[in-house]
Amino acid sequence: MGLGATVGADLLSVPFPKMVFDLAQAIAKGQTALDRSSLATLRVLAKTEFDYVPEIVEVIQAGDTTTAGGVTVTGVDVVPQPTRSIPLTLLQAGLTPSFYQFTESVIEVKMAISSKVSTQSEFEFGVEATASAGFLFASGSVSSHVDFRTSNTYSYSAEGSSLLRTTLKPVPPPARMMPRFITINTLVQPPQVTTSE
Amino acid sequence: MNLESYRMYLIAVQGGLTDEKSRDLQRFVRYHEGFILMVTRTGPVVALDEAKSTLVSNHPLVEFMGPVELNPRGFLARELESIFAANLGKQVELVEGESALRS
Repeated sequence: MGLGATVGADLLSVPFPKMVFDLAQAIAKGQTALDRSSLATLRVLAKTEFDYVPEIVEVIQAGDTTTAGGVTVTGVDVVPQPTRSIPLTLLQAGLTPSFYQFTESVIEVKMAISSKVSTQSEFEFGVEATASAGFLFASGSVSSHVDFRTSNTYSYSAEGSSLLRTTLKPVPPPARMMPRFITINTLVQPPQVTTSE
Repeated sequence: MNLESYRMYLIAVQGGLTDEKSRDLQRFVRYHEGFILMVTRTGPVVALDEAKSTLVSNHPLVEFMGPVELNPRGFLARELESIFAANLGKQVELVEGESALRS
């Protein structure tokens, strides 16, 4: 198998579909948990009541007071006239839970694959010839050698990293989760109807 | 002071709110550079750095803590806003005063 095929196989072995599935599943779980938390906040807001006193009427009127010495002097009395308090919940008053939504998700996979092949060859050729001559004989010899050395070095490395990034943004509460307040003010004629969502 | 990462949270106090619990929790929120916007029967509404929200939500007195927002169409939205602004204003002033004293 060639090196190109190995690199291709390595790239194909990245579990991309699984990564996308895992990310999607994690987002879905996270979104459910966030929605549950927002609904729990909604319940707390709807249960937290307080008495709203829309106005306090204070009547300033003349009132004589007696000093320590027994002298009566003209003074002023402030008489508060309590008005009816209105029980309200924090939700009615104007606090709503924050809802969040995953708006963008990115999977980034980085792979660095390097392969290196080096071939080294050595070739050596030598010839040695000797000759000698005497009175009755002569001789000669020739020797030669051939050396051939070859070595191949293969190196291959693959490094990978992945990054999952999601963006979470606050969004308006889903319309079906928030109650609609219809206020009918019978103090005015004709009664005034106000609707707020 | 950078308040960009601050969000509003409603805290429900464990076992019902008492003066002592409320004070302890408020001190803890203030210690983590949070602000008390209002105190309700359930617990305080605070402004807190998002990064520190887990610290506060893990406090033993906290039964539940959830992010909240002002609904401009709410019955008392303007009143709530002015209460929050007034209380926040007092505490921001205090923080700035404290840092000025330290420097």
